[in-house]
Amino acid sequence: MATSSPTTQLRPRRPSRVRPVLRPILPYVICIGGFLVAWQILSAILGAARLPGPITVISETWDPYISQPFFDEGGTSKGLGWQILISLQRVALGYGLAALIGITIGGLLGLSRFIGKGLDPVIQVLRTVPPLAWFPISLMVFQDASTSAIFVIFITAIWPIIINTAVGIREIPQDYTNVARVLRLRKGEYIRNIVIPATVPYVFTGLRIAVGLAWLAIVAAEMLKADGGIGYFIWDSYNAGGDSSSSQIILAILYVGLVGLALDRLVAWVGRRVARGAN
Amino acid sequence: MAFLTVDDVTQVFPLDDGGRYVALKDIDLEIAEGEFVSLIGHSGCGKSTLLNLLAGLSQASCGGILMEGRQVTEPGPDRMVVFQNYSLLPWQTVRQNIALAVNRVMGQASVGERRERVDEAIAMVGLIPAAEKLPAELSGGMKQRVAIARALAIRPRLLLLDEPFGALDALTRGNLQEQLMTLCQQAGVTTVMVTHDVDEALLLSDRVVMLTNGPEAEIGQILEVPFARPRHRLEVMDHSRYYQLRAELIGFLQQQRRLRQRRAERELELTLSAAETAAPASAAASTAAGRTAEAGAPAAATRRSAPQRLAGPASVRLGVIPGLDIAPLALALADNLFDSVRVRVVTVPFANWERLEERLREGELDVAITAATTPLALALGLNGGAPWPAITPMTVSRNGNALCLARSFLRDGVRDRDSLAALLRQRAEPLRLAVPQRHGTAELLLRHWLAAGGVALDREVTFSVLSPMAMQGALRGERIDGFIAGRYRVAEAVEDRQGYVLATDLDIWRGHPEKVLTCSEDWAERHPDALLALCAGLMRAAERCDDGGRREELTRVLSQPQWLGTRAAIALGRQFDMGTGAPPGELLAFNRWHADRAHLPNRAEGTWILSQFSRWGWCPFPSNRLELLSQVYRPDLCDKALELAGYPALRPDRHPFTLADGIPFNQDDPLAYLRALPGGSEPLVEPVTLPESPFLSSTSATPA
Repeated sequence: MATSSPTTQLRPRRPSRVRPVLRPILPYVICIGGFLVAWQILSAILGAARLPGPITVISETWDPYISQPFFDEGGTSKGLGWQILISLQRVALGYGLAALIGITIGGLLGLSRFIGKGLDPVIQVLRTVPPLAWFPISLMVFQDASTSAIFVIFITAIWPIIINTAVGIREIPQDYTNVARVLRLRKGEYIRNIVIPATVPYVFTGLRIAVGLAWLAIVAAEMLKADGGIGYFIWDSYNAGGDSSSSQIILAILYVGLVGLALDRLVAWVGRRVARGAN
Repeated sequence: MAFLTVDDVTQVFPLDDGGRYVALKDIDLEIAEGEFVSLIGHSGCGKSTLLNLLAGLSQASCGGILMEGRQVTEPGPDRMVVFQNYSLLPWQTVRQNIALAVNRVMGQASVGERRERVDEAIAMVGLIPAAEKLPAELSGGMKQRVAIARALAIRPRLLLLDEPFGALDALTRGNLQEQLMTLCQQAGVTTVMVTHDVDEALLLSDRVVMLTNGPEAEIGQILEVPFARPRHRLEVMDHSRYYQLRAELIGFLQQQRRLRQRRAERELELTLSAAETAAPASAAASTAAGRTAEAGAPAAATRRSAPQRLAGPASVRLGVIPGLDIAPLALALADNLFDSVRVRVVTVPFANWERLEERLREGELDVAITAATTPLALALGLNGGAPWPAITPMTVSRNGNALCLARSFLRDGVRDRDSLAALLRQRAEPLRLAVPQRHGTAELLLRHWLAAGGVALDREVTFSVLSPMAMQGALRGERIDGFIAGRYRVAEAVEDRQGYVLATDLDIWRGHPEKVLTCSEDWAERHPDALLALCAGLMRAAERCDDGGRREELTRVLSQPQWLGTRAAIALGRQFDMGTGAPPGELLAFNRWHADRAHLPNRAEGTWILSQFSRWGWCPFPSNRLELLSQVYRPDLCDKALELAGYPALRPDRHPFTLADGIPFNQDDPLAYLRALPGGSEPLVEPVTLPESPFLSSTSATPA
């Protein structure tokens, strides 16, 4: 401050007309506004039937999709809130399972150099398989669309969790393991006092990547074969081909994005809470 | 038995490229209970490696560590470490960090007791207000206090500190040092601290162990810090010896730094010149010519070439003065013990030492078997001329001298040193003694022995230099009253009824180095294979020489005219007659060539030689003696040659040794020895100019 003040004082600043409260959100307002305007213009060029503009989207989906997120007309005709909850439920199951098993396997790989080394090629190959490639095989195995969707989420989300957990354990600073060795901590004490706290930040990095992937996978899986869920909703709207279906799809996409963001932030926040002091 | 013993520890790390890095070599150290010892040295000298070994965090490749008689094989809380970067668990509060250690160690105690111990530790370092804070919320000094509290809370038997205050500002460091000192003293805990802070080491330690540069770091010197405890910084710094000790420490570190620089420069130069010889001949020739012109030393420069490993056996001109000392050489040649692929030894005999040294300096000789004092005398330029870069890779023989006096002295009742001293006090004219060489081993031994007996060397004795071959004649012609020489030469004089033996070197310094191999550092670097093959051959032969069963074979080899000739060799076969009328004793004791670490170029012995040079006023005692000794004495080459010859490596003994005067000589404190000698005064200590290799100075002139 002190160093920059002479130069800034030379040029008298124009009194800002924007109120101080607004200033921090000004970039968002301008840029997002610009984006919406561009979208609207693009829609005008292409025609509202091919790409509805933002105004059309809102007006066409206001009732019932925006105003009543939780309507239920039976069957798969449900409000977007329900659809999202259905998807979230699947994600919770698959992701929860992935977290549980992933951390366990990752822990084993990290603690045992032998297993870690031996299984590394398998993990490196499998982790690059795109989520949907798993879908047919899981359908064959489970013979059930819903279970298969959960499995796809599980198998997509597990790799970053395994890898990060293993790396986290391997990267425990020598200082801490030396302390454990000098004090001759028992295995349990070592894991409780050192391995877990030191690995938590890594695990949560893995969990955060995994939750994004899981959300990515669920929408795709539901689009292929499911009853209910936000992915199903998108695909169903497309197939229905009604007047407002493109607006519905766009609205659903927006919701998918917002939920994905919320999930990411949630995991990050939990991670910060749990790993307090670790960094 | 010492509380903690580091026994012959060598630590080798495998390198990624398949090589080996020898971090520590032959470390021997004993630490008493309650002692505070600092390890000091430049970074990379293996201080922390040694500390980890003490902690049990790693295991020595060779040798071991004993604490209270038990070998240290794994880490344990009785050897608590305060790590360089505190190593506090960041997710635990100060209290939790300490409690983790306390709970582990006091598992049996009640919760209350453990809590009390933790509180006590926190209070001890004055951190009660911060007890519930996480390490991230503490300053560096506070973190270090927590680490110390954690370590002391579990009452270890040994406290290990790895540069505990390195990361702290000066003020904090000062406070913590005093605190640590008080705490350690109260706890009475044996402490080993790694540091590179000279003042810290002096303030805290009872002894400072100085390590030489890595690789192959070893104990260079050990300094006793005599200040009384409890100590206070200001009092310690006011102590009359503080700055002397400090200068000693800093001097050591500076010498190590220069050695490291020198080593790096020489390695670079060797690589460069190796590349040069690989380059097209014309280019190499022109460079060589340019270098020659700049160096102004044509003969020397053109003979130099990069190490020749593939060019067939190198012909080595080896200068000797025939004598019993060179028995290994004679036997090695007779039994073909030199590796004929690597080396062809051409022996060049001399009749006196001056000529031999001259030829060696001129480069006419590649190597010579000289007196043990010669490498240092050459390096110091003691016999005139500039300091010459002499090195000694091995000791060829030990013992073998005897002092012979004319028989007339026997008639005067001179039967031992005391009667000689008494006689000399009454005699008007001084005793005329001949030595084979100026500043040689024999002269040093003789002077030492006489001085220890109270003989005033400056008034009562004169020394003259005679060729060993001429001594007997001089005694017969009464030009001298006695001489010191090889025992078989003395035996001849005794047989001729001219002289008798007053003392042998067994009375003066049992096992002293007598003859060593000497060559220039340049030559050694240019012909590493030839030099090692030469040493290895001599070592193999030396083992045979030591073998009593081969005595006749050895006598037969030595009786050849180019060595001792028939007459001297016959003397070797007889019982040794002292010539005093006493019955002949054992068979004439030979030199020691191989047994009991005979080959080792021992810097402690070099230190003694330097102390004597200084004692007799031939040169000041070098303040940079360690630098000089590590340049001249090359146990590394000795080890390589031993390996080549198939013998285990030798390591020097760091214990003080005692000569005829009964004053223990401690290589770490040669000045105290000089002061303690009879008539000893404050020795003159000055830095000496070290030999600059002509090879280096010539290249420094070459544009890069």
